[in-house]
Amino acid sequence: MSRWSVEGLAASLERFELGPVDLDVGPGEVVAVLGSSGAGKTTLLRALAGFLPARAGRVVRDGVDLRGWAPERRGLGYVPQGLGLFPHRTVEANVRYPLELRGRLDAGPRAREMLERFGLSPLARRYPAQLSGGERERVALARALLAEPELVLWDEPWQALDVGARHELGGVFDELRERARVPSIVVTHDPGFAFSVADRFLVLKGGRPGYYGAPEGLLRSPVDAFTARFAGFENVYAPEALGRAAPGSLGAWLRELGGPEGVAFARPAVAVPGTGRWEGVVRSARPTPEGTAVTVLAGPLTVALRLAEPAGSARPQVGERLRFDVEERAVRRLAGAAGTEPGRAA
Amino acid sequence: MSRAGESAAGPHGPRRGPPWVVLQAVLGGSLLALFLLPLYALFTYAPPGAIGAAAHQPAVQAAIYLTLLASGIAVLTAVVLAIPLGYLLARRRFPGRSVVEAVVALPVAVPHLLVGLGLFFLLVPGTPLYRLTTAVGLPVYDTIWGVVLVMVFVSAPYTVLAADLSFRAVDPRVVETARALGAGPATAFLTVSLPVAARGIVAGLLLTWARAVSEIGGILILAYTVYPAGPYNGPVTNTLSVLVYDLFQAGDLKEAAAVSCVFLLIAFGLFLAVRLGERSGWLPWGRGELVP
Repeated sequence: MSRWSVEGLAASLERFELGPVDLDVGPGEVVAVLGSSGAGKTTLLRALAGFLPARAGRVVRDGVDLRGWAPERRGLGYVPQGLGLFPHRTVEANVRYPLELRGRLDAGPRAREMLERFGLSPLARRYPAQLSGGERERVALARALLAEPELVLWDEPWQALDVGARHELGGVFDELRERARVPSIVVTHDPGFAFSVADRFLVLKGGRPGYYGAPEGLLRSPVDAFTARFAGFENVYAPEALGRAAPGSLGAWLRELGGPEGVAFARPAVAVPGTGRWEGVVRSARPTPEGTAVTVLAGPLTVALRLAEPAGSARPQVGERLRFDVEERAVRRLAGAAGTEPGRAA
Repeated sequence: MSRAGESAAGPHGPRRGPPWVVLQAVLGGSLLALFLLPLYALFTYAPPGAIGAAAHQPAVQAAIYLTLLASGIAVLTAVVLAIPLGYLLARRRFPGRSVVEAVVALPVAVPHLLVGLGLFFLLVPGTPLYRLTTAVGLPVYDTIWGVVLVMVFVSAPYTVLAADLSFRAVDPRVVETARALGAGPATAFLTVSLPVAARGIVAGLLLTWARAVSEIGGILILAYTVYPAGPYNGPVTNTLSVLVYDLFQAGDLKEAAAVSCVFLLIAFGLFLAVRLGERSGWLPWGRGELVP
């Protein structure tokens, strides 16, 4: 299986400038590409696939420079946003397509085998417009895999899937990684999925990499509010929000700890009745599998907390006062600088 | 306020549908009546049995043959020339694209006698194009090629416009997926873009055919009479439209009505066959579309 490197890749799309982007992905590895809307995630995939000419840099497959290679020669499995199913072909004809192009005589049997594996056999003669969102996703995946790709590019998979179907397709991903050893680059907005499959994260911001490295690094030092929220930090404050805080308040304390893009921390656990340095007024309290999730208003800041008391005890009431602590080591400074996690895998 | 899909039994008892649906039916029905009433008049004016008799006349049969052959060639020409132009307009940016779009729409707007005059001056004996068309064996004056030329001029824009709109409606990501999965640009065009756009393009080709068979103005000037055996050689014939015009000019209104009815039945039969073929899935384009 192949090893791919992206070296200083830059591309332009109308006025949008992407890059330079560096990343590498080896057999069975997954790189998750994150970023807010318009950050350049899809543009990166299109540049990688060869649909956008590289303004600078290159894509290398097993030491071979792919500059000037047409998309069809790059050996890709491609699942774009919207899935790219061919509306005029049946499910089976969609899945068969990549092998049909190569004139393979086993295209039909291999496609039917793949349909069987994905539980799509009963739908073989239907058209994409007659399928549910989850079924359509499965067809797109089956087709991408039947192309026997050297690299799979996924643009927001799982978008239309319910929880059960996601779990089921997670298995397909494991197979890609562990058995077929196919490398993948996945654009996603789904933190649960990204943290469960990705070996490395690339965070794009305005077309430029904000972070590239291991998931641990993203948890340790998120670069900006988007990344922090993606990584699961529920308390994220921009410098402007902290600027209004009164001296001696939680906001003023966070302002001192914060970086140019602000500050973030996960829900602190609170005992009831709480003791702690800060105080807030309860705005909401709702049960979750991890305990009761509470939001309080502490001055101008809304803070998310988690009640650590055993389940079944009384929930705090809205308007009640609650004391809590935020550990300094739990607070992340959002530096905003583009950079690469030093400890990333090679 | 009523909504679509609401129960037929409203608070005021059963009714046929929400008022706006009734309004649509009335307005649409008025237009259909405008289409159908003149045709009804034609069919009632032709004496019973005259339509069948007209269809069996050698002159009418020769006119039908000429008209179908010339319009068929015009449609094939549109397939070869107009679909690529529609694709270019839909998918490529180039300087002067708006000018090209305006030029494409022009033949639809120009009075067709002027089209005939323009072609007449362009191909008048002595001009380079006259010499070229004669040299390659496609002389246009009073030949089927003159009929085809006029038909292509007035009708091909419908295919260009339909192809342009249909290719624009093809999701580029679908085409890119085909490319990434191994299809070269031409293969992706033939296996994805064209089939996905086919239904709209076929609708444009039908309009092209309809416009071609109904053309008269330009044909009157360039090929009023057509010598099937070659220029000014042997018996002559006319297109159906010219034949009806001739009969009308000669005051033979019943015969004109009967030949018109033959013409209408052919056109209606073709349109209906295509629609039924599409609906049943027998014709390949449009497969996979959700038809309510």
